[in-house]
Amino acid sequence: MTGYAQKAGQFLKNGERAAWHDKTLWIVRQKRDKMARAVPEWENLREQASQIKQHTLSELDNYLAAFEKQAVKNGAQVHWAGDAARFNEIVSGIIKKNNASKVVKSKSMLTEECGLNPFLEKQGIEVTDTDLGERIIQFREEPPSHIVMPAIHLKKEEIGELFYEKLHTEKGNFDPTYLTAAARLHLRQKFLEAEVAITGVNFAVAETGAVVVCTNEGNADMGVHAAPVQIHCVGIEKMIPRMDDLGVFTRLLARSATGQPITTYTSHYMGPKPGGQMHIVIVDNGRSEHLGKEDYRNALKCIRCGACMNTCPVYRRSGGHGSVIHGLIGSMLAPHSHLKNYNDLPFASSLCGSCSDVCPVKIDIHDQLYRWRQDLSEKKRTSPGKRYTMKMAGKILAGSKMYDFSGKMARWGIKNLPRMLIYNRLNVWGKERELPEVPKESFKQWYKRTRQGKGGENGQG
Amino acid sequence: MDRDKILQAIRENKAKTTPLPKPFNSPAEKQNISLVTRFKDILQQVGGDCFEINGEEELTTFLNQHFPGAADFRKKETWEQYPPDSPKEKLAQLKTVVLGSRFGVAENGAVWLDEARFPNRLVPFIAEELVVCLNAKEIVHDMHEAYSKSGQNTTGFGVFISGPSKTADIEQNLVFGAHGAKKVNIGLYNL
Repeated sequence: MTGYAQKAGQFLKNGERAAWHDKTLWIVRQKRDKMARAVPEWENLREQASQIKQHTLSELDNYLAAFEKQAVKNGAQVHWAGDAARFNEIVSGIIKKNNASKVVKSKSMLTEECGLNPFLEKQGIEVTDTDLGERIIQFREEPPSHIVMPAIHLKKEEIGELFYEKLHTEKGNFDPTYLTAAARLHLRQKFLEAEVAITGVNFAVAETGAVVVCTNEGNADMGVHAAPVQIHCVGIEKMIPRMDDLGVFTRLLARSATGQPITTYTSHYMGPKPGGQMHIVIVDNGRSEHLGKEDYRNALKCIRCGACMNTCPVYRRSGGHGSVIHGLIGSMLAPHSHLKNYNDLPFASSLCGSCSDVCPVKIDIHDQLYRWRQDLSEKKRTSPGKRYTMKMAGKILAGSKMYDFSGKMARWGIKNLPRMLIYNRLNVWGKERELPEVPKESFKQWYKRTRQGKGGENGQG
Repeated sequence: MDRDKILQAIRENKAKTTPLPKPFNSPAEKQNISLVTRFKDILQQVGGDCFEINGEEELTTFLNQHFPGAADFRKKETWEQYPPDSPKEKLAQLKTVVLGSRFGVAENGAVWLDEARFPNRLVPFIAEELVVCLNAKEIVHDMHEAYSKSGQNTTGFGVFISGPSKTADIEQNLVFGAHGAKKVNIGLYNL
């Protein structure tokens, strides 16, 4: 596992592309702002959404049981998976029981988290991701780089080249309308052939057993209604109590995600089609444990809109191949489940707080990241380099003599030492970043020289 | 068993119960906006088209003129032609489909369609073009009102559709007709 700094370094090798990524996500952020401002009750909606989630998490066992009861009454079959392995077994079990070998999938970070695709492929099952962006990265055998815009890191020329190779489109034709039409034809064939359709879930309603999926392309519906067997995969935190609450969340989700008033399709699946099967797999995979961490449980309110990523100055400029769930929300969730692999993610933030400001369910994202850093340091989970540096910094900052001396050394060093001594492998901070130009004197020296004896503006010495 | 283990872990780990807030009360000021105007504005923004007809009778004439050969699922004959168990290959041939909607939503240009309106759930998604007939008196302000209309009664399958199917996955260029209908026309009648 390479660290976030290494991956970001890779991303930044192409400066033009990195600038485009930054600019594009910022446009999405601005669209979100425009939409939010057009709704006068926006702040009340956020508060309502946050409280609904708070309540639901505090009664989650009861809501899950109520949801199950209703879903079964509607004719669905409900399965429970404690972890990723169990989840993969359940899904492949349903597929095998139906003697199926062709599966279409849409909208699911959860299946990505559990590694469902490689698990099924190993058993000879063909899995086709049907969201255009997801299909593109599936062709490229890459993980997605953004939860809402999975192929945001690619340019149309690369996609044109890829489609030429995989779908036999015209060489050199990079027109997005042309490429989308080619994908439509290709995927329509997959929809018609598929025996099983798998989707993720945006909201699961305890009151009625409804499973709600939001898409712009219509791929979830094409898959679900064309295949005889439908499987919906839902994390336990996706529960909401009432149909009424959908009004709050559907108003917030698309406005926050892409700056649309609502997604093109908001689909409510409440029972199998005539002669079909509807399965719902409820997945824990570390979430119930996360619920027990008082400082961090708010993260489970997340509705995966991605607004925190679009606004984040670090993510916009460094790309999203950090963890399965990217950006800020990934930084919050990933270290819980994979402490060793992703322990550098909470440090990939400037703690500016913009993420918390745009979050539609009011998660205290930057505060959580700050607490994570402290926890990881206390648990000695940070890299030895970082630990040593922090220890030294602590000693230096504790005494004024040591501080003055170090400042002098640093000012001399940055100017006079050879680059390789400063920008070396140990200094991750120096990757793709330049240290600022050094001043001739320290602030203390400057203050002494110019203000000594004159006192501050408030008369203090 | 996984079910009991998960529920037990939640019981042990969950926070103290906080109250469930009352259903959201959307503000009263909205009463002054013309719902039809707002619906049309937003529909245009999300890529949909709109035509307006005075009465319900004129609607039929208009549809015959502008969408000849469309499969009109407001008619019994069309249901007979496309029964619920129609093979999907046959449904894939559908070009223009006419459906009736019970209500629309002004704040996002969406129309509500439930499975009472079509014999097979694929119909609204697999057709190249949708024509949705909507009584202009049946437009609500926002999603709160929408769910109080559709909410408890939803069975089987129901969907809000706001404009044509779209994607921006290739360099953020907006393209209509990713998988679903490439064109969505809303026919407002009873103005």
